[in-house]
Amino acid sequence: MLLAMLLCYAGFVALCLSMDRHHSDLLGRKASAGRRQSLRLGGWSLLGLSLWAAVAAAGWGLGLVQWCAVLMLSALLLVLLLPYGPRLALWLAALGLLASPLAAVAQF
Amino acid sequence: MKSNVGATPVSYRLAVASRVLAAVFGGYLLAALGSVCLTLLLPTSRIEATVSGMMASFVFYLLAVLWCFACRSAWRAWAGVAGACLVLALIAGLAYWTARP
Amino acid sequence: MKEGFRQSMAWLHTWSGLVLGWLLFAIFLTGTLAYFKAEISHWMQPEVPARAVSTDSSLALAQGYLQQHASGAGRWFINLPDAREPALSVMWQGPVKPGERGAFMEKLLDPATGSEIQARETRGGEFFYRFHFQLQMPHPWGRWLATGAAMVMFVALISGIITHKKIFKDFFTFRPHKGQRSWLDGHNALGVLVLPFHLMITYSSLVIFMSMVMPASILTAYNGDTRAFFNEAFPGTNNAPAAGKPGVLMPMGPMVEQARQQWSGGRIGRIAVNNPGDENASVNVFRHSGDRVVHDFGSVISFNGVTGQLLRVSPEQSLPAAIAGSFYGLHMGVFAGPVLRWLYFICGLAGTAMIGTGLVIWLGKRQLKHAKSGVMPFELRLVEVLNIASMSGLVVAVAAFFWANRLLPVSVAERADWEVNSFFMVWALSLLHAAVRRGRRAWVEQLGLAALLFAAVPLLDLLTSPAGLVTSDWMLAGFDLTCLGSGVFLAWAAWKMQHPSHTRPSPQPRAERLRSLALKNEVN
Repeated sequence: MLLAMLLCYAGFVALCLSMDRHHSDLLGRKASAGRRQSLRLGGWSLLGLSLWAAVAAAGWGLGLVQWCAVLMLSALLLVLLLPYGPRLALWLAALGLLASPLAAVAQF
Repeated sequence: MKSNVGATPVSYRLAVASRVLAAVFGGYLLAALGSVCLTLLLPTSRIEATVSGMMASFVFYLLAVLWCFACRSAWRAWAGVAGACLVLALIAGLAYWTARP
Repeated sequence: MKEGFRQSMAWLHTWSGLVLGWLLFAIFLTGTLAYFKAEISHWMQPEVPARAVSTDSSLALAQGYLQQHASGAGRWFINLPDAREPALSVMWQGPVKPGERGAFMEKLLDPATGSEIQARETRGGEFFYRFHFQLQMPHPWGRWLATGAAMVMFVALISGIITHKKIFKDFFTFRPHKGQRSWLDGHNALGVLVLPFHLMITYSSLVIFMSMVMPASILTAYNGDTRAFFNEAFPGTNNAPAAGKPGVLMPMGPMVEQARQQWSGGRIGRIAVNNPGDENASVNVFRHSGDRVVHDFGSVISFNGVTGQLLRVSPEQSLPAAIAGSFYGLHMGVFAGPVLRWLYFICGLAGTAMIGTGLVIWLGKRQLKHAKSGVMPFELRLVEVLNIASMSGLVVAVAAFFWANRLLPVSVAERADWEVNSFFMVWALSLLHAAVRRGRRAWVEQLGLAALLFAAVPLLDLLTSPAGLVTSDWMLAGFDLTCLGSGVFLAWAAWKMQHPSHTRPSPQPRAERLRSLALKNEVN
């Protein structure tokens, strides 16, 4: 579940940044349309990748359940962190992405 | 559905109560009839149709409740639910009597 | 018309949420606790050893015990120990007379020796599990009420979704320190971000009791013969009746081994023996429901008890049965390993908090209108008292249940009932307390008491546990730590209640003021 969680969380951060209001809150400036587009694409791709990771690890039945659980938990974590530790929220996403190849190796 | 600031008139309270009754009891009847229709119409085995009908019944219930509070008046709430029940009862009746040899 | 629709849904959400909110909070909290019912039971019966077990030897011991103590019974049940429930549990039903249900007797056995475990009598975690769908009411009224509440929850969820206009725009929005706005943000976040769980848990609870609350389909399709429906849906209950001639039951070990092979290595859940002393004795081996996500009601392998012959292997599940089984399996979460179980727990708490924040918002908004006059009208005061008692009061009652378990002497008669009584007495007292004390103070005092009781649980465990100080039982440690953590959280909550942070004064430009006005209208 770790790989799915890391990817999910990063995906949500990307989707969050793709929104004007959060982008300016977190990074101090507005995003260009192109950047917003790529963040959205990246975010959804990461979420899709996390679904694949979950199903690959545990099969369709259990994998789907684990993915939903990880989805909800990472969203909750992000929304809780945003007002209290926006920098931390972003750093966690970056670190998570960096650690994901390791998690992938551990899983497969 | 907005209430006026100040004392809520009795007519408003009665209307709300009426909608609640329509939603709770009329909705239940609608859900039961819906589940029976599905059970009688689904081309699967008896046990499968029964289980499917029961599972889906709550969606019928939900739709009935939403209708009762979204429509413009308490009368419409009852009319809508009663009308739907009638239609479902007819369908169920037809399905039941045509299925018997 | 669109505006009218959203507003009517907002009205429906607000009022359905209030009227059933107090009950739903209790159902959600106790249901959430039930995900750890095995661990709770373990803490509440510290005498039961937690050690590695082998199913085969425990099965033989169970059979021996039942042969000795329950040879005249109509049915035997054996629950083999597993990772979460270390005791071997046997149950038997007295001889079945026509038209009567035999009385059930249950005993816990040591899986290593087969002797009865002398553990303090307690309902354990099962109390929370049973309460959340039976509500301590006589059968079947509790289930009807709980299922009715579930239907209202479903309505509240859907109407909430419809009403939440900015569900995508506000997906990541949570603004603390802004008073009512923060509570609403929190309520929305808990609702939207955990929505898959909320929808699943609510609809599945309806499906679980559907044959009770929505029997129309059964009555129509089976012409009123409900027994025929249940026999078809749950083939494990369809057994040969007693022949009236005595027969000797074979050792069940080989039968269980054969069943395991049929399931290619699946785990055994429970074993039911019908008419054990009879010629027509049958042994039903049920698969452990934790093996798969989709619960298979019919997954049973039946043997002839006297000859050991394989009678019947249940067929593959049909699609509708698999769907119903999915609802059941997902709701119960038996398949969940430790990590996933904690996630279930967190999601359950989120649901509980969603309901709680809703109740607080309902009152808070209306209290603002009466803030100037200083006098609260009766209806609002009633809501306030019920809010306090149903939330902080309930939490104190849960703590009281655990404390009663350790403080009540082990040999007291009706011990289990007295633990439950403590729960309800404390809950009732909290209602009285809330009625007598002024709003905020009641919150602070009850939350503070709960914090104290929970935080002190590890100490209580230390002082009252027969095992003593050092124990490698991580289940007990986990329970103690969770209670401690809860105590800390409750202390924080009590502190926040006592020192409410005033909303950060920010210069309100005209646009902001207009937006907040629009917000008020939208939320109304």
